[in-house]
Amino acid sequence: MSGGTYLVAAGCTINDITGKISGLCTAKGSIHISINYPALVPFFVLGGGALVVLLLSAVLPKRPYRGLWAGLTVAAGVGTVVDGLVQWQQLNGSSVTPVTLGDQLFYDHMGAFFAVLFGVATVAGAAISDGYLEREGLDGPEPYVLMLSCSLGAVLMADAAGFVTLFLGLEILSISLYAMSAYHRWRAASGEAGLKYLILGSLASAIFIYGAALIYGATGSLQYLGVVSFLADNALFQNGVLLGGMVLVIVGLGFKVAAVPFHFWSPDVYQGAPTPFVGYMAAVAKAAGFAGLLRVLMLALPTLESTWRPIIWVLATLSVVFGSILALVQVDLKRMLAYSSISQAGYVLIGLQAGTAQGVRAVAFYLFTYTFMVIGTFAIVGVLQGRGEARNDLSAVRGLASRSPWLAGAMLVLMLGQAGIPLTSGFLGKWVVIEAVLGQGQYELALIGMLGAAVAAFFYLRVALIMFLAPESPGAPAGGAVTLSATGGPGAATAGGGPSDGGPESSEPGDSGWAAGAGRAYSGSDLQAIVTAGLSARDRALALRPPPHTRVRVPAATAAVIAVCVVFTVFAGVSTPVLSWAHAIALPWSA
Amino acid sequence: MDQFLPILLMVVLASAFAIGSFIASKMLGPRSHLHAAKVGPYESGIAPRRELAARFPVRFYLVAMIFVIFDIEVVFLYPFAVMFRQLSTFGLVEMASFAAVVFIAFAYLVSEGALDWGPGKRLGSRAGAPVTRSLNATVRRVARPGTPPSARPPVLVEGASTGSGAGARGLDPVRAGASGPHGEEG
Repeated sequence: MSGGTYLVAAGCTINDITGKISGLCTAKGSIHISINYPALVPFFVLGGGALVVLLLSAVLPKRPYRGLWAGLTVAAGVGTVVDGLVQWQQLNGSSVTPVTLGDQLFYDHMGAFFAVLFGVATVAGAAISDGYLEREGLDGPEPYVLMLSCSLGAVLMADAAGFVTLFLGLEILSISLYAMSAYHRWRAASGEAGLKYLILGSLASAIFIYGAALIYGATGSLQYLGVVSFLADNALFQNGVLLGGMVLVIVGLGFKVAAVPFHFWSPDVYQGAPTPFVGYMAAVAKAAGFAGLLRVLMLALPTLESTWRPIIWVLATLSVVFGSILALVQVDLKRMLAYSSISQAGYVLIGLQAGTAQGVRAVAFYLFTYTFMVIGTFAIVGVLQGRGEARNDLSAVRGLASRSPWLAGAMLVLMLGQAGIPLTSGFLGKWVVIEAVLGQGQYELALIGMLGAAVAAFFYLRVALIMFLAPESPGAPAGGAVTLSATGGPGAATAGGGPSDGGPESSEPGDSGWAAGAGRAYSGSDLQAIVTAGLSARDRALALRPPPHTRVRVPAATAAVIAVCVVFTVFAGVSTPVLSWAHAIALPWSA
Repeated sequence: MDQFLPILLMVVLASAFAIGSFIASKMLGPRSHLHAAKVGPYESGIAPRRELAARFPVRFYLVAMIFVIFDIEVVFLYPFAVMFRQLSTFGLVEMASFAAVVFIAFAYLVSEGALDWGPGKRLGSRAGAPVTRSLNATVRRVARPGTPPSARPPVLVEGASTGSGAGARGLDPVRAGASGPHGEEG
């Protein structure tokens, strides 16, 4: 001991007088926390972005100029994407232990992958929110601050190395989303959505934290690695507490990803919340919930695999089946997409059920492609619904092919993508999750997944068909004949982009069609019968209302997002770079 | 089990105190035959039929929120102060950034007018609500759900009807308000 400084451990000194700690201290009561700052850059970017927006909104005059807040948010999102890619590059080939910030965060491929995903969702979400909020007279800095903090929570969930950090991320994400759901001030449904989401979401959070507490009680650790090492070293005679904790954690996260039977909030919230936020929420909350679930189940509780796999099996089956079937009878576009996202969550659960590295990579790929599809779809719905979200029913898309061919083409591609039609990323996504589960010999689950996709294809294609209905008055049995492309499938995507030659007002049979090559003619009533199959009489009338007469106005930023989403959906479906990127994820566990 | 004994003891003591207080006040307090009319806020002899909702400004929530934010900050400052030396520079930077976050939130609140208590002083800056009170301003401000701002009943600004050019407008306050400013569209 000289000059008041003494050595506590190897490479760690503490000055006796000033209390100053220097060197690498990890032992003997010292409080030095090793921090790998590059791992924290996404948090600095997103959190700093939120603070900058908040501060500027306080010091600048109200409404400085249009697009400032959205632009800043997009910039923060781009920063997150870039940093995620940089992290990925840095992590390539490194084999050091990937934990940082006092063992609270992982710094690994999976975290970098999800950081990119959340960055993309932030960019797209902010870009489509700008036009929407302007139209609704709601623009201000708040939604963007909430969006950035929500993304921060999502990244935290994906990077969490323990239950406390996971819970922290979950709460940051959830609370931001509650406020975003209720943001539409003069729309009562929005407030209702926010309130429902808040109450049910808080309950789910409570269930989650109780589960984490039980797991801590059983294993004595809140860190995933602590739990797994405890379970590896000790055999529990009675693991009831541990199993109870695991089930409650699955329930809490299952709520976030809207897996049946924890899905009840989602249709109401999706229907009521502002449309662009719904797109963002569907992408981010789902991906973050699954990232948390992947880490908890695959990393912390692999020894209980034989227990959680049947649970996930049931959740996956219920989600795929109920999501697809309930979507069939929806006439509200946003509600239908809510059930559709429930069934999509079912496919992700199928990938998780495999419990293998292949399954995890399939899940990552699925979530990444779904991000683009769902945000693009909600961007289009947000544009179509008109001021005040006046038209959310299915008939809002009626005759879109002739009113706005490009938008109809984009919607068609995104619908086909979510239905899982080949040459789209949705097909490849479903392919990889089913392949993963087949690798584990789960033929029943694979079959259920494929049948569910067949059922789901109907309601996606219903939207596509309604777009190609002539936009004249409904119900008339002698309606105009509509020529329907017999080629169908992905080929129709390009046909949908072409302008129609029949005017929207024309009512003579044969004139209102948008002929695309050798098409087969259906009478309007035939097509209407197909389109409205399975709906009640009242819903049928609702689905066949004439579309709004207002011109569809697509803000430039929204158009760009839609275009990118469509291009990505096709690109990731016909080529392999995205798939091979997801397959290159080096997992922090040995599976 | 031993370590939980104090908690158990505390629970017993707390319950004993609560129950004891009730019993003591029953036994020691002045006996009176209380009935609804007697305990009512106005001893008029007529019992109120139901509880009326108490009105208080919603701003109390805002103040409560601001209080909670700073309360939490102080809660974190205590352990920091205790561990100041051990945490050294890192702790100082950490705490400064934490305080900065809270301060930015505070700046936002101030800019939103959360601390402006004057009656209707800054109410209208954003929502386009009228600055002065009138029948139309208070009654008709809230739109029916699902009504876009453009379709809302127009609000009457007092100044518009009493100030210059009041003549024809003053006759029909509702219609007169239609030409008055309603800033939601802005």
